[in-house]
Amino acid sequence: MIDLLGYAAFFLSTALIFGLIALGLNLQWGLTGLFNVGIAGFVAIGAYTSALLTTPAVADRIGGFGLPIAVGWLGAMVLAGAAAALTGFATLRLKADYLAITTFGVAVVAQLVALNAVGLTGGPFGVAFIPRPFGALADHPVLFNFSNFAVVLAVTAVTYLALQHLTKSPWGRVLRALREDERAAVSLGKSARSYRIQAFAAGGAVMGLAGAVQAHLIGFIAPDDYVPTLTFQVWAMLMVGGSGSNRGALAGAVVVWAVWVGAGALTAALVPTEFQARAAALQIVAIGVMLCVILLARPQGFFGPTRRKAKPGGGDA
Amino acid sequence: MNLQFLVDGVLSGSMVGLGAIGITLTYSILRFSNFAHGDFMAWGTYATLTLVGVIGATFGATAPLGPLSFGWPLIVAGLAGMVLTGLMALALDAVLFARLRARGQSIIVVMASFGASMALRSLLEFTFTSRPTYFSRSIQMAMPVGWGIRITPDQIVLLGMTVVLVTAMHLFMTRSRTGREMQAYSQNAALARVVGIDVARVVRATWLLGGALACAAGIMVGVIVQIRPLMGLDLLLPMFAAAILGGIGSVPGAVLGGLIIGLSEAGAVQLIGAEWRQAVAFVILMAVLLVRPNGIFGVRER
Amino acid sequence: MTGPILQVDALVAGYEPGLSIVRGATMQANAAEIVVILGPNGAGKSSLIKAIAGLVPVTSGSVALDGQEITQVPAHQMVRRGLAFVPQTDNVFPLMSVQDNLRVSAGVLARAEIAGRIDEMFQMFPDLARQRRLPAGSLSGGQRQMLAAARALIVRPRVLMLDEPSAGLSPKFVEMVFAQLAEMRRAGLTIVLVEQNARAALAIGDRAYVLVEGRVAHEGPAASLWHDPIIAELYLGQRKEGAR
Repeated sequence: MIDLLGYAAFFLSTALIFGLIALGLNLQWGLTGLFNVGIAGFVAIGAYTSALLTTPAVADRIGGFGLPIAVGWLGAMVLAGAAAALTGFATLRLKADYLAITTFGVAVVAQLVALNAVGLTGGPFGVAFIPRPFGALADHPVLFNFSNFAVVLAVTAVTYLALQHLTKSPWGRVLRALREDERAAVSLGKSARSYRIQAFAAGGAVMGLAGAVQAHLIGFIAPDDYVPTLTFQVWAMLMVGGSGSNRGALAGAVVVWAVWVGAGALTAALVPTEFQARAAALQIVAIGVMLCVILLARPQGFFGPTRRKAKPGGGDA
Repeated sequence: MNLQFLVDGVLSGSMVGLGAIGITLTYSILRFSNFAHGDFMAWGTYATLTLVGVIGATFGATAPLGPLSFGWPLIVAGLAGMVLTGLMALALDAVLFARLRARGQSIIVVMASFGASMALRSLLEFTFTSRPTYFSRSIQMAMPVGWGIRITPDQIVLLGMTVVLVTAMHLFMTRSRTGREMQAYSQNAALARVVGIDVARVVRATWLLGGALACAAGIMVGVIVQIRPLMGLDLLLPMFAAAILGGIGSVPGAVLGGLIIGLSEAGAVQLIGAEWRQAVAFVILMAVLLVRPNGIFGVRER
Repeated sequence: MTGPILQVDALVAGYEPGLSIVRGATMQANAAEIVVILGPNGAGKSSLIKAIAGLVPVTSGSVALDGQEITQVPAHQMVRRGLAFVPQTDNVFPLMSVQDNLRVSAGVLARAEIAGRIDEMFQMFPDLARQRRLPAGSLSGGQRQMLAAARALIVRPRVLMLDEPSAGLSPKFVEMVFAQLAEMRRAGLTIVLVEQNARAALAIGDRAYVLVEGRVAHEGPAASLWHDPIIAELYLGQRKEGAR
């Protein structure tokens, strides 16, 4: 029973971290209409930045500054946000597709650096010994899981409230106006681009923070954690939850993660070992198909605002 | 500097360029960047591989053609695979893209292509597993051609195939009625309807050609490198970069862009190591977007 | 004389549902006649001929060509029915050569006919013949208008609709374009012309309609309409502002 509670806490922690990424995506896509196909890249930048800032020094790798966790998280937000700002700066005066293509490239390059810049990122073996908040409690698994969950919950709550506030602020209203009304964008001219870059950078920073929080939750990161599947998962979460709604982003994250974990457990239990890789592939097929079906049938998501159902696609997406 | 990188660069540039033709056509005619294009490439290659297997099972083992590593089954299967890939692109358009396009939001179509890409790729992994496979396991001797450059018979034939395909494609776009209609539609969709161009026909031709060329590029990768479900995903960024570098909508531009990227990659591999190959396309992409977003042959930005 | 070639009845059309720009327009054009559509800015003149051409969704009402209903015929079928349209802007394919512009526009004709028709257009517009290999985007404004007209005429339509052919042209070119239109009418073509330049249009027109807020507010013979005081008030006041 106690074990189960501990597992529930761990499950929710992971789900909320996905929720955090989805919140960042919701700021970029749901509110501002900016398409990001490189989510995994921005999450990786955050995770590795925080890891390098906070781990103890090691001989064969740059970094390992042993700084406090809070500094690591701040650094993660700054660097991921800066990467997003740069991406936006290069592409946001062009057609929307260019941003999508470039973010895809960012994820590819982040993956390359993680794999190959061995002296910085540890290469395929990743970075270990990332300090964990309440690491002293590691001997009491349940207490440890709960304290971790409390940290994740606190970060998520603060981010959620901050984003809710931003959404309702004049800044958020400008972003919405920019997305819904091309004339508003034209009349704002150059500053429209600046607003979009700001929103894209802020979303990137939230993704970076999520990456950092997760790195410190697990204590170990490797390039495999930041493959395109992550990007797909987060998109599925936001689309299920309903883009445009911060609450929907969180709800979608929990639901999709529960389905994902459940399906994984089911295949592990039922499918013979030699077919498990195939079953995992089928799981991804399911997400891809689901994403397409949602786009076709219910673009506002399941938890999203329903009042504007007449506008398919992205009126509220 | 070893000049061998020229051969490697032109070869990988041909693969990228053939693929980029489809990307640039889809972008300029259907107005969205198709993230599933790399997976058309992979599907086409696996379809060809399967057909080669079927032919082998039906007619028994066949001898390779002269010094090549493959025989007539691959040529027959490849042509059939190109048709199949075009039809598959057409089918995906019918069930997914066309419906979303009708709603008029191109970025939603991009997102759908992203979802479709994931599903298609994982379906290949499910069917064929992620283990690499080959059209032929025979090893070819590379022949020296001077200046320290060596090339295999397969490579020569595939380069010839690229030249033929690109020339045929160029002639088709400029000399045939359908090709001219595709050009017209990409330059001004509303006027194209006014002059009586049937949009459905243009869309069909775009998918068939883009799919077929993606398959050809995939077969090239399969013969020279290897066949994997991820082969298309790995080429997606270079293909996008090539299409943008060449100027969206331009077939010669896409090929030239592909060659530039292939040569830069091959050069970079010699200088900084093979593991950074993928980063070259990204650097070129960023440079083009910052300096000349319309590309070499592009003149307008919509 | 048989019925009108083009008959438009109570046409309602607009880009978005519930937001009609054409609100019940009725008009007709007879054989070998130039019909001018006038009206203040935003009256829906342009939308009216685009709706006839199938480019703006029609909610109700009907369009008939030669007694045949063509209201819901898709835009790309209109040329085959004998209805050609020249948009005001973006009316050539800029990266294609002059010759290819004509060739792609002649796509609805039988293959054997195309070359002859292109030569015919080059005879009609010798300026274009000299520039046949240049991309259309590099032509001057007047030449581009010429190419747009040639592009529409190459299929020998029954009805030619033009949206402000004089816009942005120098007075010399305006005169030339209108003289050419008058000549085509003499050859038997029916022309529907949307114009801001009322004086020039009415000078060659047979009949005119004045569109206000998506409806026909006035109609009559072109010659008398120019002197109608209501027209002066409704339309010309606007025009003088517009024309500076």
